Amino acid sequence: MVRNRVWSFRFSTAALVLIPAAVGINYIGKLFVELLKLPLWIDSIGTVLSSMLAGPLVGALVGIVNNVIYGFTTSPVSFVYAITSAVIGLVTGIMAYKGWISNIGKALVLGFVVGLIAATVSTPLNIAFWEGTTANVWGDALFAWMVAKGNPLWLASFADSVVVDVPDKMVTVLISFLIFRSLPKKVLTMYDTEQEIERL
Amino acid sequence: MRSMTLYVHREKGSPLHRMDPLTKLLYVFTSVIISYVLADHLSVLLVLAVSISLLIAGKVARFILPIISVSFVLLASILIVQGFFHPDRATVLWEIGPITLYKEGFSIAFLILLRVLNMVCAFGVLILTTKPDELVETLIQKGLSPRFGYVLLSVLQIVPQMMTLTGKIMDSQRARGLETEGSLWVRIKSFIPLLGPVILRSLAETRERSIALEVRGFNATGKRTRLHRIQPYKYGFALKALLAVVLLSVIVWRIWS
Amino acid sequence: MSHLRVEQLKYRYPNQTGLALDGITFTVNKGEFIGIAGSNTAGKTTLCHAICGLVPHFFKGAYGGRVLIDGNEVLTSTLSDVTSKVGFIFENPFSQLSGAKFTVADEIAFGLENLGLSREEMHARIQDSLHMLGIEHIQRKNPFDLSGGQMQRLAIASVIAMKPEILVLDEPTSQLDPQGAREVFNIVEKLAIEGMTIVMAEQKMEKLAAYSDRILLLHEGKLVQDGDPSTIFSRDDLLELGVEPPIYTTIAKKYGLCRNQSNSFPVTLEELLTFEFNMPLEGLSSTSEKQSTSVIQAEELSFSYPDGQKVLHTISIGLSNEPIAIIGQNGAGKTTLVKLIKALLRPSAGRIVIDSIDAKDTTAAKLAKKVGLIFQNPDDQIFKRTVLEEVMFGPLHSGFSKEEAKKMALLQLEAVGLSDKAEENPYDVSLAERKLIGVASILAMDPEIIIFDEPTMGQDYQGKLRLKEIIADLHSKGKLVICILHDMDFVADVFGRTIVMSQGKVLFDGPTIEAFSHQDINRQAQIEQPHRFQIARLLQERRGFVNQP
Repeated sequence: MVRNRVWSFRFSTAALVLIPAAVGINYIGKLFVELLKLPLWIDSIGTVLSSMLAGPLVGALVGIVNNVIYGFTTSPVSFVYAITSAVIGLVTGIMAYKGWISNIGKALVLGFVVGLIAATVSTPLNIAFWEGTTANVWGDALFAWMVAKGNPLWLASFADSVVVDVPDKMVTVLISFLIFRSLPKKVLTMYDTEQEIERL
Repeated sequence: MRSMTLYVHREKGSPLHRMDPLTKLLYVFTSVIISYVLADHLSVLLVLAVSISLLIAGKVARFILPIISVSFVLLASILIVQGFFHPDRATVLWEIGPITLYKEGFSIAFLILLRVLNMVCAFGVLILTTKPDELVETLIQKGLSPRFGYVLLSVLQIVPQMMTLTGKIMDSQRARGLETEGSLWVRIKSFIPLLGPVILRSLAETRERSIALEVRGFNATGKRTRLHRIQPYKYGFALKALLAVVLLSVIVWRIWS
Repeated sequence: MSHLRVEQLKYRYPNQTGLALDGITFTVNKGEFIGIAGSNTAGKTTLCHAICGLVPHFFKGAYGGRVLIDGNEVLTSTLSDVTSKVGFIFENPFSQLSGAKFTVADEIAFGLENLGLSREEMHARIQDSLHMLGIEHIQRKNPFDLSGGQMQRLAIASVIAMKPEILVLDEPTSQLDPQGAREVFNIVEKLAIEGMTIVMAEQKMEKLAAYSDRILLLHEGKLVQDGDPSTIFSRDDLLELGVEPPIYTTIAKKYGLCRNQSNSFPVTLEELLTFEFNMPLEGLSSTSEKQSTSVIQAEELSFSYPDGQKVLHTISIGLSNEPIAIIGQNGAGKTTLVKLIKALLRPSAGRIVIDSIDAKDTTAAKLAKKVGLIFQNPDDQIFKRTVLEEVMFGPLHSGFSKEEAKKMALLQLEAVGLSDKAEENPYDVSLAERKLIGVASILAMDPEIIIFDEPTMGQDYQGKLRLKEIIADLHSKGKLVICILHDMDFVADVFGRTIVMSQGKVLFDGPTIEAFSHQDINRQAQIEQPHRFQIARLLQERRGFVNQP
C-alpha cells in the first residue's frame, strides 16, 4: 500500500467538517487580534492548523473557502488572494507531513518558508491588480522608497510583501504549532488516515 | 436570540434580486475582466458606471459604501504610492512644498483606482442582492458536489456561532485572573488563552458533528436529491449569452487593435 | 429472530490500552425498550456507538465479537448501511445540527436528501416528524436560535424522518435544563408507546425505570446484569457500581416496602404508591451549621442590557454564613446576578459590596482571589495541554509562584478525584470530568467565596457525591458557597438556605424546606419539587382523602 493518502481527493466526513471550523478559527483569530489591538494580521491560524491536521489538500481548500467567504461577506478584494491562501495551506501541509513540525525550531523555519512562498505568490497578483502595493503601511512605505530609488517594480513589490508576510506567517505558524501540540488524542486520531480496524 | 450572521445581503425585492445568481456571478467576472483588459480611463469609467447603475437599480447603492471603506487603505496607498513615486514620473502635476505629484503616476493610480472600485461595486451587485445560501443551492443543483456545497453552507452558519463564544471565553478567563487590557505585552500574553479555547472546542466539536453527519447518511453513495426547487429564471440564458458576447468582443477587439 | 444481537463484543479505542467493552452479549427484540445504566466510565456511550456502527467504522481501533442487525453483521456492512437502519441521538444538541441548513424544516430534510428521496416524499416526512415532535410552530426558525430542548427534539425529528428500525439514545437530556429534559422525555415516551425499538443510555434512573422493558447494567466495560428494572435496581451493590437507584426504590428500601418474598422493590412512583406508608416532610432537607464567612451585600441592585432588556429588578439580599442555593427558570436572572458579584458586569443601578469592597471599584481579574466563579461550560476556558497545567493557570495568574500553584492544583485535583488524570489532555477525558477540572481550576486559587453555576449537570452518582463533599469541605473551612442549580434533589440534599428567583426578582429567600413547601412559589417560579417532597405530598393528600369522613 502506497503511503500516499496525504494526497487523497476523497475527503472523509471529518476532513470536510474541519473546513468550516478552520475558516471560523481564521475569523476568530482576526477578531481577537482586533479586540486586543495587536500589530499583526494573524488571520490564517485555521488554515495552518487544518493543514497540519488533515494534510495539504484540506489546508488548500480551507484557504480558498476562507477567502471566497470573506470576499462574499466583508471585502471583495479578498477573492484576489484566494490563491495565496491556498498555497499557504498547501506548503504547510506538505512540510508538516515531511516532519517540519516536530519541534519549535523547525516550526519557525516552516513559518519562514510559508511567508516567503506566500510573498512570492502574492507579488504577481499585486502587480497585476494594483501595480505592486499591498495596502500595508510599512510594506508600502518600503515599496515607495525602493521604487523612488530606481529598483525594478517586481523587486519592490516582492520586498513589500516579504516584510509583511514573513513575520506574520512566522507568528501564525508558531501559534498554530503551540496549539497543535496541545490537541487531544481524540482529535488527532480522527485525522490519522493510517488507522485500520484491528481484530480482537 | 443569536441573530448574528455573515450576510451583507439586503432584502429589497428589485429585479436584480430576482435575477438568478449565476447570471450575476457571470456579470461580476465579465465586468472585472473588461476593466482590466481595457486601459483607457474613459472606458473603465464607463464599466464602473454600469456597475454603479446596477447597484442603484437594485436599491442597494448606499450599502456599497461600508464595503468600499474596508478597501480604503488599499485605495489610498495606491493613490499615494503611485502618484508620488511611480518610476515613469516626468511631468509635474502639482507641487505643494517639497511634495511633488507627477502626472504619469497619478494617471496610472487613477486607472487602478477605477478598476478596484469597479471590482468592489461589481461584486457588490452580486453580494448585496443575493443570499449566499441561494447561490450555493443554485451551484449544487447545477452540479457542484453536495458534500462541498455542505462545506460552503456550513461556514455561513458556523462562523457566527463561533463568534458568539468570544464573550463567554473572555468572561471565563477573566474570572481566572487573566487581564485583557493594558500594555502590548499583557495583550499579547492573553492571545492564546483567549483563542485556545475556541480552537480546541471547535476541533473537538468536529468529532461530534462528523458523527451526526454520518448518522444522517452524509456518506451515502446513492444519488442525492434537494428539497427546494430553484425557480427557473426567464432571462437567464439571454443575459448570460449577452455577457459572454460582450466579454469576447472586448477581448477580441483589444487583441486585434 | 431477534432484531439486534450482540455477541461477545469487545472493543478498544485506538492508542488506548484498556478495553472499553469487554465480552458484551445481549439481544433486543422488535418493539422492546432497553435501558443502559452505569457510571460515566462504564462504557455506555461506546456500546451505543457499537450498535449504530460508529464503532468500529468511524473510530477504528480493535474490535472483536459481532453485532448483528436483522441478521446483517455491522463489521462487514458499510457505515451508511448501518445508519440507514439505526438512528442515533447523543447528548450535545448543538453539534447534532448539520450546520448547513437555515430553517428547522430544511434541517430535517438534510438526511432525506442524502437518502435521495423524492420531493413529495420529503415534504410528507418532514410534516409528519414536525407534527410528531410538536415543533411545527418553529419550522421556519433558524435551528441555531432554538432552545436546547427544542434543538434536541429537532435532532430526534431529523433522525425519525429517516425511518430507522432502531433508535439509540445516548443520555439525550444530560445537557438540557429540566424544561428541555421534560420535552425530550415526553417524546421518548411517545415513541416507546408507538412500538419503536429503543436503546437508551441514561443517568436519570427514574426515567429508565419507567420506560425500560429490560436494563443492561454496565461496569468497567463489562455487562454486569441484563434484567428487568426491578431486579436491577433491587441489587444491593448498585452504589458500588456507581449507579444510584431510582429515588422510589431508595425510599422503598428504607421503609422495607418489598413485594412478596422475591426481594424486588418498586422502581416507579406508581408502584411505590401501591404501598401504605408514611413519610414526614421533616428531615427531607439539609440544615447546615452556620459559619462565619465573607459577606456579600446586594443593595437595590438592577441590571439591564444595553438594548434595554431588563434582567434584574432592584434586588436586595445579603449572602453569608452557610451554603446557599439559587434556583429558578432560565432567564430568571441567576447567572446575571453572579456575574455582577464577580464584577464581570456592571450594575445599572444599586451596588454590590463584598466584605466592604464595592464591586464596581475592581475588575474580575483582581477579584480572582476573593470570588471564584465556576462557569457552567468548562470548554469556554480549557486550552492547556494537560489537566494539571490547566488547573495551574488560575493560581499563576493571581500571583502565586510556580511551586505554590502546582501544590494547590494537585491538592484540588485530589479533591475532585482526578489526580490520576493530571497528565492527560483535558479534552481526552469526559465532559463530566472536564466540569470537575473547571471546579478544581477555580478552587486552586483558594478564593473566599465560591460560586458554582450548574455543577451537577451531566454528573453521575459519583460526581454528585464528590461535589457534595467539596461543598461541605469548603463550608467547614469558612468559605461562602453559592450554587445555581436545576437539580432540585441536590438542592434539598445539600443546602439549608435557598433563594428562588423569577423574572429578575427574588421570590423567596429562606430555609430550603420552606422554599419547597410553598406550592404557590414553586408554581410561580415554575420549578419542580424534589422527588421526596413530591412523594411526601402525594402520601399526605392520599391520607387526607382517606381520613375524610
